[in-house]
Amino acid sequence: MQGSNVGQGVRGEVDEVLGEAARLLPGGEMPAAVFNDRGIFERERERIFGRSWVYLAHESEIPDRGDYVLRYIVDDPLIIVRDEDGEVRGLHNQCQHRGMQVCRSEAGNASNFRCPYHGWTYRNTGALTGVPVEKQAFGETLDKASLGLVQVPQVDTYNGMIFGCLDPDQVGLAEWLGDIRWYLDILTMRCPSGVEVVGAPQRWRIDVDWKIAGENFVGDSYHTLMTHRSMVELGQAPRDPKYAMYGEQVHIPGRGHGAMLIGAPPGTDLPPFWGYPQDAIDRARTSLPSAEQFDVAYETRIMLSTVFPNLSIHNPIRRPDHRYEGSIPMMTWRVWNPIGPGQVEVFSWFVVDKDMSEEFKRLSSLSYLRSFGISGTFEQDDAEIWTHIARNAGTFSGRNHRVNYQMGMELEVDEQWPGPGVAQPANFTDANLRSFYDRWIEVMR
Amino acid sequence: MSARTGSFLPPADPPLVAPAGPADPEVTARIAAWLYHEAELLDDGRHDDWLDLLTDDILYQVPIRIHKEVTDSVRVTGVQTNAFHLDEDRTSLQMRVDRIATGFAWAEEPPSRIRHHLSNIRVRHTDHDGELAVRSNLLLYHGRWDRPEYELLSAERHDLIRETDGGYRLARRLVVLDATTIPTLNITFFF
Ligand code: FES
Ligand SMILES: [Fe+2]
Repeated sequence: MQGSNVGQGVRGEVDEVLGEAARLLPGGEMPAAVFNDRGIFERERERIFGRSWVYLAHESEIPDRGDYVLRYIVDDPLIIVRDEDGEVRGLHNQCQHRGMQVCRSEAGNASNFRCPYHGWTYRNTGALTGVPVEKQAFGETLDKASLGLVQVPQVDTYNGMIFGCLDPDQVGLAEWLGDIRWYLDILTMRCPSGVEVVGAPQRWRIDVDWKIAGENFVGDSYHTLMTHRSMVELGQAPRDPKYAMYGEQVHIPGRGHGAMLIGAPPGTDLPPFWGYPQDAIDRARTSLPSAEQFDVAYETRIMLSTVFPNLSIHNPIRRPDHRYEGSIPMMTWRVWNPIGPGQVEVFSWFVVDKDMSEEFKRLSSLSYLRSFGISGTFEQDDAEIWTHIARNAGTFSGRNHRVNYQMGMELEVDEQWPGPGVAQPANFTDANLRSFYDRWIEVMR
Repeated sequence: MSARTGSFLPPADPPLVAPAGPADPEVTARIAAWLYHEAELLDDGRHDDWLDLLTDDILYQVPIRIHKEVTDSVRVTGVQTNAFHLDEDRTSLQMRVDRIATGFAWAEEPPSRIRHHLSNIRVRHTDHDGELAVRSNLLLYHGRWDRPEYELLSAERHDLIRETDGGYRLARRLVVLDATTIPTLNITFFF
């Protein structure tokens, strides 16, 4: 445990805190208590994570029939499996006999899951197929057809991204994602075969609220110069204090999703299209769904997004090390899975455009590993800072203090922006964060 | 590399060449002293001096480990071959050290309290003269801020140590973690 009062979370009056949040947000403030409170966490478990479409895996992690990975929504262990018919399913990892976990590796390939307790056996579709000595033990009484593993009520994919939803009555994935799909397309359709995840995700724990991580990726460009000053000193980010300001910040109203598309500061010669090689640019010209998306991508050097609630994406121009000549962009996707008040387990994946060369993929993985993820020279400092926000938010006095989202409240909307959503022509604004919390409050109350 | 001595290791370049038998006690003692010296530099935060102990062609890797069933009778499972927590060469290690030296690396400013506890040092000759295959166990203490809690990481290090005119140099280090999900908020330190 990284912060003394984290993970205990005083239990405040949830509705009081939420009422205060709703009162403050229009003026660009929030009560700090939302970042470390047991009552808030339990409400989130039910209202946010029990009802949202949550990112679980990518299809490239389970390419063949029988391939599976174990993933979580809060503490629910889920088997994400490509079944014998090629369909992607989400199965609760809980034997229908007495509740044992039937899948006991983090990843693998299985046609069946056999429970180690009494031996009930399930096909990878979830169907119960085998009960030891069934005749003698149960006679004719066992209704095997109704005793399959419990299916995640809704599982669907978008451009290979597998999402699951624990609420059977939630709207479908396409409607849930809404206009953020236009931006997800830019990140996942630059080449005809899409993107692939390479290798298992890094998994680690940070004493931070999932929203602090999510808000950082949805619209906190402002922290770059200070938090990541060490990398500026090493020439890994431009010195211009307004560098992270240039570009566009876009949010999807009423949904909580948002993205930042950061261009080249005037006077710098960062190559277009993230610094991807020319053949990748040529492929994207025909592979991206529209000319508008290509034009936006062409001007982008850094792109970030948070898909409500807890999937974040980072796709920056980068180099594998500070002496490397040229650019090798990278992409990482991460889920901030809450495991308690003020605590997350991070799943961080390396993702790459599938049609790139093996050489590029190898270098891009190094650009990722050395800047982001658990040992990343950028992300190390994010985690360090975030833990102390959670620590303060859980204290007797600190929980009553406010956090500030007032940047860019006067900033005009960019009517010329070719993409969907509400765009502002600069990144020094908290519009995306206000939109994120607007959605959060709506769902929580 | 034979199954007995660790076919669970990811393929490596430069390879961890097949050990050709245990080194005599005198060589083992010299290597142990060298590893203790290396750990002292890391615990003291003398990272520049530590870099001097590495060869220019060093490969330094900490693979991700997952919880996984036994396959091919190997019981050390889940060590990934294509996914890492650290995958470093001499230049990228220099970048990490230079970053800490900027004074703006907040994750190490103020510094973490790091302690390397080494044990079970086993030294073997390899097919190459002047290169020794060394396995050692590591218990790494990580503490930050004014809290009493701390994290421990346990691992086995598979090193290739080369004799040079300047003394022993680390040519390869592969760190087999005993943790799957990592308890520390980040990895700012060297194993
Ligand atoms: S609990 Fe699974 S077979 Fe009994
Ligand atoms: Fe950051």
